[in-house]
Amino acid sequence: MGETLQSLALGFSVALQPSMLWYALIGCLVGTLVGVLPGIGPLAGISILLPITYGLDATRAIIMLAGIYYGSQYGGSTTSILLRIPGEAASVMTCIDGNAMARKGRAGAALCIAAVGSFIAGTFGVLMLTVVAPPLALFALGFGPPEYTALLVLGLIFLAYMSTSSLVRTLLMAAFGLLLGTIGIDVMTGHFRYSFNIPELGDGIGIVPVAVGLFGLGEILSTPSRQVTGEVIRPKLRELWPNRTEWRQSGWPIARGSVLGFLIGIIPGSAHIISSFMSYALERRVAKRPEEFGHGAVAGVAGPESANNAASTGAFVPMLALGIPTGPVTAVLMAALLIHGVPPGPTLVNDHPQVFWGFVASMYVGNLMLLALNLPLVGLFVNLLRIPYAYLYPLIIMFCVIGVYEVNHSVVDVWIMLIMGVIGYGLKKFSFDPAPLVLGLVIAPIFEMSLRQALIMSDGTWMIFLQRPVALVLLGISAALLALSAMGYLSRRRDWRAKLAAEAGKE
Amino acid sequence: MVVFAISGELPFGTFSAPSAGMMPKVVTALMMLFAGLIVVGARESPPLSTVDWSDRNHMALVVVITAAAVALYQPLGFLITMALLVFCLLVIVERRNALIAAAYGIGLTLFAYWLFGKALKSPLERGLLWF
Repeated sequence: MGETLQSLALGFSVALQPSMLWYALIGCLVGTLVGVLPGIGPLAGISILLPITYGLDATRAIIMLAGIYYGSQYGGSTTSILLRIPGEAASVMTCIDGNAMARKGRAGAALCIAAVGSFIAGTFGVLMLTVVAPPLALFALGFGPPEYTALLVLGLIFLAYMSTSSLVRTLLMAAFGLLLGTIGIDVMTGHFRYSFNIPELGDGIGIVPVAVGLFGLGEILSTPSRQVTGEVIRPKLRELWPNRTEWRQSGWPIARGSVLGFLIGIIPGSAHIISSFMSYALERRVAKRPEEFGHGAVAGVAGPESANNAASTGAFVPMLALGIPTGPVTAVLMAALLIHGVPPGPTLVNDHPQVFWGFVASMYVGNLMLLALNLPLVGLFVNLLRIPYAYLYPLIIMFCVIGVYEVNHSVVDVWIMLIMGVIGYGLKKFSFDPAPLVLGLVIAPIFEMSLRQALIMSDGTWMIFLQRPVALVLLGISAALLALSAMGYLSRRRDWRAKLAAEAGKE
Repeated sequence: MVVFAISGELPFGTFSAPSAGMMPKVVTALMMLFAGLIVVGARESPPLSTVDWSDRNHMALVVVITAAAVALYQPLGFLITMALLVFCLLVIVERRNALIAAAYGIGLTLFAYWLFGKALKSPLERGLLWF
C-alpha cells in the first residue's frame, strides 16, 4: 500500500504540472462538448482528435484523450436531460427520468445530481483503478502466448455475452472485425493478404478510419436534420441545487451505480452503455415506488449516470494492466499509446511509471475539473444545443475527414472511413452493434500472433491451452458463458439482456 | 465466399502450424456459421418491411458529396475542398440559402485551417494550387 501511495505521489507530481493540467482541461472540455453534441460520441471524438496528439509526448496525449472519454460521460447527461436526446449512447437511460424531471421544473437538480453522481463514481473508479491495476499487471507478467490467446477468447465471448443485442449477432460482428484485422502483411510469413496491390493496405486497416466511419459518419448518415428537433429546456442557475429529499434519494443509487459500473467496466463489452442499462433496471427493482420511474425518479438519473462514469474508468483496468482493450474506445486509446511508443500491458507500470501513474493521477484531477466545469457552464452548453443540427453535421464530417487523413496522410484511409460509414448505416438499420467489429479489428493481430506463438511453443499441439492453469481457467469460463447462452437460446426463455433491451425499448 | 475465392494463393498450413491463410478462412467460416444461425432464427426478428428507410435520400446525398470531396481533396487541397463540402451539404442536402451557406462554409473552413494548420501545426493538404 505504501508503495502504491508513493507511486501515486509520483503521478501527482506529473499530473499537477501546468502543461499536464492544461491538456487535462482541454480533454475534459472537448469531451464534455463531444458528450453534449448529439451525433458524435467519445469514440469518434477521440479518433478525430488523435492526430492532434502526435506532437505531444505519451503522457500528455493519453491524459488529453482519456479526458475526452470520461468528459463525454459527463456531457452526455446534459443533452439527455434538457433535450431528451442522448448526447452519447450511455446516456440513453438518463433521457427517461432526467427529461421528466426537467419537465417538472427540476432540470437544474437533475443536472446537478448527474454531475455529482458522475464525480463520485468517477473518483471511486479511479481509486479502484489505483488499487487493482498494479497487482493485476504484476500477475499478468507471468502470462505467455497461451494465456493471452485464452484471455482474448474470453474477452470476445464476454463481449458477446454482455451485449444487449443477440450473442450470435455480436459474434458475427466480432468475426467480421477479425477478418478485417487480417488484411495486410502477415508478419510471420510475409504474405500480403487482401491488399489488392494497394500499398496503404499492406500495413492493414487502421482503427481510426473504421471507428470514425462506423461511429461518426454512420451516425450522421442515419440522422437527417429534420429528426433532430427538440425544445431545449434552459435551467436557471439558482435552480441547480437539489433539495434535501432529492439528495437523500440519490445517495444509495450513486453508491450502487459506482460499484456496479466499475465491475461491469472491467469486463469486455460496451461497458459504459450496458452499465447504465443495468443500473436503471437495478434501481427500479429495489425502489420502494417503482411506478415513479419514467416520471422523474431521482434514482433513474443518479444510478445510470454514476454507473456509466465508473464503467468508463473501470475499462482502463484491463487496458493498462493487461494490454487488452475492453471496448472500441479503449482500443483507440491503446492505439494512441502504441503510436507514442508506449505499449500498454503488464510492463507499463514498471517500464513507464510516469505515464501510468501520471495518467491515474490526472483522472483524479480531471474528475474535479469536470465537476467544476459542468454546472457553471451549463448555460453555454444549452446555447450550443441551440445550434441547428443542419449546421453542425457538416462541421463533424469535415473534422472526420481531417482527423482520418492526418493519421497517415493517406486518402485511402478516408475512403475506408466513407465505406465504413455506409456499412455503419446498414448495421444500424438491421440492429447490429458495430462495437464488436472494432474490437475484433484491434484484437485480430494480437490474437493471431499469440495463437501461432503458442502452437510453436507446444510443437503444434493444442493441448497447451489445457495444460497451462491460467489458460485452462479462462477457456473454462468462456465455455461456461457459451453454454449459459446456448441454454437460454434453446429453452426459448428471454435472458436478462433481451429483457433489458425490451424494457429500454418500451421506455 | 468471396473471401474464400480470393484467398487461393494464401497457404492455409495445418491446424498444428497455421499459415497466412488459416485465420481469414476460419473466421470467414465462422461468419458463415453465424449468418446461418441468424437466418435460422429469423422468425424471432421483426420483418424486414418494418425497417425505416425514410433517411435513405439524406444518406445517399451525404455519401455522394463526401465521396466527391474525398476524390478532390488531394488535387484541390484543404481550403477549397472543405469549403465546397460544407457549402454543398448545406445547399444540396439541407436546402439552405446559398449566401449563408457560402459564408458559413468559408468561415468554418478558415477556422479549421487555423485550428489544425496553425494552432496545432498539423500539415494540411495544399493541393495543386498550393494553398
